[in-house]
Amino acid sequence: MNPVTFAVSSKQRQFDALVRSLSGDLFRYGYWLCGDEALAHDLVQETFLRAWRALDKLRDTAAAKAWLITILRREHARLYERKLPQFTDVDEIDVSDERDAQLPESAGEENLIRRAMRQLDVKYREPLLMQVLGGFSCEEIAQELNLTPAAVMTQLFRARQKLKTMLDGGAREGVVHELS
Amino acid sequence: MNCLEFRRQLGVDPQSASPEFGEHRQQCARCAEAHAGALAFESSLRRALAVPAPAQLADSILLAHETVRQRDRRQYGRRAVLALAASLVLASGIGIYGHAQPLPVEAVGHLRDEAVVLTWTKLEPDSDVRVAFGMRGIALHDIPPGPYTFIGCCPMNKHLTVHLVVQGGSGPVSVIYVVDQRADAREDFHLAGWQGRSIPMGHGTLMLFAQDASRFDGLEQAWRAAIESPADNKLARS
Repeated sequence: MNPVTFAVSSKQRQFDALVRSLSGDLFRYGYWLCGDEALAHDLVQETFLRAWRALDKLRDTAAAKAWLITILRREHARLYERKLPQFTDVDEIDVSDERDAQLPESAGEENLIRRAMRQLDVKYREPLLMQVLGGFSCEEIAQELNLTPAAVMTQLFRARQKLKTMLDGGAREGVVHELS
Repeated sequence: MNCLEFRRQLGVDPQSASPEFGEHRQQCARCAEAHAGALAFESSLRRALAVPAPAQLADSILLAHETVRQRDRRQYGRRAVLALAASLVLASGIGIYGHAQPLPVEAVGHLRDEAVVLTWTKLEPDSDVRVAFGMRGIALHDIPPGPYTFIGCCPMNKHLTVHLVVQGGSGPVSVIYVVDQRADAREDFHLAGWQGRSIPMGHGTLMLFAQDASRFDGLEQAWRAAIESPADNKLARS
């Protein structure tokens, strides 16, 4: 038996599998959280380094993504939240944004949505990211953000409405119902 | 659920799986139409958020992780000198020096955990072998010839060790010197796919692991000369 391939610890194997399967999703979450590719890369790396130290606490691998996102959010708050300028003001966004222009679907609605997302206040953007990218339920988002489920539902509702309003150029300003 | 409640839920979670949500959609054509529109928007939203991750992101994370682990091991090695002193005090004071598993079994477990070091090819200076043993409180009389590609002061469960990988034509040999436990007798063994040899040496135990045991005799002789005093060597030969 070749000692090189003989065995890596099960913890190492589990860690490798998590990195290979979830680093892309975490990067996307980090990118939309901080708005910067390089910082998102650092955030994901630091998240996994911290996750390694606490990997024994992960009992349910199905919950790994939510667990890692929780770590990433805390890292973001700890490291970057204060010093990061948030996304560029909508009036300053160059229409020929290089990143969007490189994407095949850049001519479509997704390009406009990305720009609208950058404009969305973080208090709306983050619960939406947690739901759409993280797969969190309203209750889980509420727990994570230390809000009531009703408040989370209101923020999710408003987030979508604001996005659609921005996409429609303000034509869809409507009543936002408080959700109970 | 009425139309207002449905539209609220639609804004909160268009993919809601609640029975009431589904039932209302079946009963109300206008809400069903709104639902279809909302799902189309969700689909666009997901695509918009799916920015591409950097190439080799996973590889770079795994490399960073391995680098940090190596650094931590080295720091642990330095701290372990103090830990050794503390453990010796404990052992002499309250007599708790028993271990659950035979040393070769513990060593194989350690080799599994540290399997990555067998893939390393960068040569370490031979002089670091003397440094590593010095950190374990052992002054080598000589440095057995390398080349070495890994030199570490590793904890192995409750034991303190020096762990080396020495390269050669027949493949790498892992050398583990357990500082704090001397085996009762010299023995060769075959364990978990490894050829192994355990040798009481000095105040501890030298263990050799490889796929091919042909170099064990030469390494044993070199290490005995390095670790034991000339008087001990005479004793071992007699």
